[in-house]
Amino acid sequence: MKLFTLKPSVPVLLFAAVFAAVSLSITNSYYQLMMTLVLVWAVFGLSWNLLSGYTGLISFGHAAFFGIGAYTTVLGQIYFDITPWLLIPMGALFGGLAGLLVGFPTFRLQGHYFALAMLAYPLAILYVFEWLGFQEVSLPIKRESPIAYMQFADGRVYTLLALVLLVGTALLTQYIERSRFGRALLAIKQNAAAAEAAGINTFAWKLRAITLSGAIASGIGAFYAIVLLVVTPQSVFGMLVSAQALTVAMFGGIGTVWGPIIGAVILIPLAEVLQAGLGSRLPGIQGVIFGLAIIAVVLIAPEGLFWKIRDVVRKRRPHAPVVVEAAETAGPVGAAAPAFERTPATGEVILEVRGLSRSFSGLNAVQEVSFQLQRNAILGIIGPNGAGKTTLFNLLNGFLRPDAGTVWLDGRDMTGRKPHELCEAGIGRTFQVMRPFLRMSVADNVIVGAFVRAKTDQEARQHAAAAIERVGLAAIADRLAAELTTKELRLMELARALASQPKVLLLDETLAGLGSQEAEEVVGVIRRLAAEGVTIAIIEHTMQTMVKLVDRFLVLDHGAVLVEGLPESVTRDPRVIEAYLGKKWAGHADH
Amino acid sequence: MSTEDKTLNALTRRELLATGAASLGLFGVARAQLPKEVKVGLIVPLSGIYTRPGQVMRMGAEMGIAHINAQGGVKALGGAKLKLVVIDCGDTTEKAKNAAQRMVANETELVAATGAYLSSFTLAVTEVTERAKLPMLTLSYSDLLTERGFKYIFQTAAPASVQSAIGLPELMKLAEAASGKRPQTVAMIMDNTGTSVATAKALKEKVFAQLGLKLVVEEIWTPPLADATPLIQKVRSARPDLLLFMPNAVSDAKLGLEKIKEFGLGQGRIPTVSFSITIAEPDMLQSVSPDVVQGIMSIVANWGSKGHEALINELKMKYKEPWMTQNAISTYGDMWLIKDALEKAGKADAQAVAGAFRNLDGAPAKYFPGGILKFDDKGRRIGAGVVIVQWQSGVPVTVYPPNLALGTPIWPKKS
Repeated sequence: MKLFTLKPSVPVLLFAAVFAAVSLSITNSYYQLMMTLVLVWAVFGLSWNLLSGYTGLISFGHAAFFGIGAYTTVLGQIYFDITPWLLIPMGALFGGLAGLLVGFPTFRLQGHYFALAMLAYPLAILYVFEWLGFQEVSLPIKRESPIAYMQFADGRVYTLLALVLLVGTALLTQYIERSRFGRALLAIKQNAAAAEAAGINTFAWKLRAITLSGAIASGIGAFYAIVLLVVTPQSVFGMLVSAQALTVAMFGGIGTVWGPIIGAVILIPLAEVLQAGLGSRLPGIQGVIFGLAIIAVVLIAPEGLFWKIRDVVRKRRPHAPVVVEAAETAGPVGAAAPAFERTPATGEVILEVRGLSRSFSGLNAVQEVSFQLQRNAILGIIGPNGAGKTTLFNLLNGFLRPDAGTVWLDGRDMTGRKPHELCEAGIGRTFQVMRPFLRMSVADNVIVGAFVRAKTDQEARQHAAAAIERVGLAAIADRLAAELTTKELRLMELARALASQPKVLLLDETLAGLGSQEAEEVVGVIRRLAAEGVTIAIIEHTMQTMVKLVDRFLVLDHGAVLVEGLPESVTRDPRVIEAYLGKKWAGHADH
Repeated sequence: MSTEDKTLNALTRRELLATGAASLGLFGVARAQLPKEVKVGLIVPLSGIYTRPGQVMRMGAEMGIAHINAQGGVKALGGAKLKLVVIDCGDTTEKAKNAAQRMVANETELVAATGAYLSSFTLAVTEVTERAKLPMLTLSYSDLLTERGFKYIFQTAAPASVQSAIGLPELMKLAEAASGKRPQTVAMIMDNTGTSVATAKALKEKVFAQLGLKLVVEEIWTPPLADATPLIQKVRSARPDLLLFMPNAVSDAKLGLEKIKEFGLGQGRIPTVSFSITIAEPDMLQSVSPDVVQGIMSIVANWGSKGHEALINELKMKYKEPWMTQNAISTYGDMWLIKDALEKAGKADAQAVAGAFRNLDGAPAKYFPGGILKFDDKGRRIGAGVVIVQWQSGVPVTVYPPNLALGTPIWPKKS
């Protein structure tokens, strides 16, 4: 475990060592300043990446945090004579608080709305600072005790200080990336709904991310003020500042610690060289060239240079051999042994639904649905398209709040709870449209689902390994999800739902898109799960497979229960044949 | 006696010859040490939204250097010529800071520099030049610039607080003389940039009370101004004797002035005064017609005035500039100031030039209004005054002080 966590930090430390060596050899104060600024913008890019890169919630307003930090430094030194050595951590604290304050209302918004709302914060604060009369604030020179006030004649000291901040931020980012924090953020990015269903409290994790991101942005902003010497609202709260974070991160690569670093190392010196080289000869041309360079890279490598380079390298290298997950990590976790004989008729009710209704502006998607699910049973939910099957699942796992009715899980009233709470209580689900986390390995995909039950990352890893084992994917646990077949992806999703050790598993068209041979294999897995003691509700269209699989059928039509009963009787029921099965099945019914 | 004389003469002659030879030799050595050219920095915005003032400053600098070199260069340095090093400080504080760092790191031969137009940029630039001990002249007039205890900044313009304190009383006198009535009430509408805020602060805290002016309307906007209607509406209903209109962007000035005209307050129905050169820039006429600006006055730090006719003419011929704003005349004057300091220092060295700036003789200021060519401990030019210009038939004409005035002020009469 120790070795595992150390490994990714090696390149970061190597980079830092090379950067420090280059920096120490530079005596020209201007080039030294550039070295410092590269690091400042890299750290700022990393702070943006921590929120937007991992959660996918694009922030156009990170200047808000940056500026709060910068003004903490200047105002703190001017009005309270506090040293920047203290003001930088204080700035980080304020930035964290600001993140919390901003995140709380803003996370109610999604996608573009979130991005636009974020845009407003720095602009609003900018005007506040102008109104307060802080148009131009310069950091007083401390001629008596320069070092106590972080004022060094040698620019190399600033570069080294910035390097410390960068290494700290990069290692923190890498640590988060591997922890449940990072996995939760990635899960939110790829599918917030699936993440909620997998037991992730998306709101709480997003708040943590913006708090941390705000703290880092503010901390580096506080440091930047020392280097800039004069702080104006435009220079720290301006649109260009927010854009800078996006630019370096998107250029270098989003969602990796290397993205902002690569972006800053290339773009910051490039902009300066253009400014210095062409600025006085062809004024304005530097902006044009800079813009064109960014457009070119975005066109060639839309996800950023890092991912492009990685893809090229991966393609060139022969496919890495499949590493079989060590079998000793865990045996099957389920309480039941494989030899467990399934006894569906225990009569013990695990899930009870009474009078559940939900309508969408006049359309009664689900009306007055009541049924009981007995422990270890497999319930098949069928019905024509638009019958309300998926809506029913959404009501059961908390994506939708019912207008009326109750849901009882294991004797507890769980009506109207949030998805992650229901997941915690024991409802797991898969989706009709698969939402794998493509850039993550199978194991990592499944771990996302395991955190809800696991106290430690180690435990989560064990739960995930067990779930992978149960669906039979142990041999390809280390493969990227992007490389899997549809069947393997279906099984992986099943494993993700299983990793939360659910009492009830809701499977939404798990067999869709599979050939009959593949469907058979998946059905085999589902059967085995049921035998191991998992209670299952499954929506499916493939009738033949269903008849063989389920214990009982629940037939929905126009949102209401049409029939509920044993497969043989349901498939022969004339109402069902009429509503759903059609004439083709009428013949079967006659047999 | 005669033989003695002869010997003496001979000795003297020999001595003289020896001395002559020695001095020639010495002179030769000294000549070798004297630089052929001395580098002077001009750090101004040449890209981004402040390009235009930067260009005009460059014109002033180029003219100054051409004149100095044509008149024999720096005599104390054996006629060394001045050479201008132009550095673009961009359009943000960060770019200005970086450019200044580049200037001091890569242009090590600079003896002095001038810049950087906007006071925010000058603040950032001088933070760098102060640490690098490079003397820096500036036409920026934020008070803050010379309140930091810096030793290497020299401000040729009167600071903002002083400008309003000496400018407004003069304006009141003009008003009284022309209209027979002393203004009682004043409206102030301004943007929230650093210079406007500093000026307003001085006005509200001191000047208004001293002049017995009552502030009846105070409105602040954040540039760019989107719609001036509500601002001017307030002015119209308050009907002040004097309107202080303080924009710092030509587009804002245009919007405000057109609205003033639309509301029937133009042409001096309410006498309008500004506090920056923005409202008197040649660009104004590209967006508004002369009758919109007619009669509007501005209190500025410097302007091409009486005694500068040849310069104004040259600027017109060479650069097609219709008149000489502060940017051109002050930067032109800066070149002569640097030249004077070099003459005094006797060597092309930044430290020596800075020392010379601090100990100037106090000659009359030919290219700056009021005061003398001497700086106080803070680096402010002693006695620095202001110029009041007024738009008259499409040209901003200097109307105050009398010794610089090229025209007489028209004080609009209330109808």
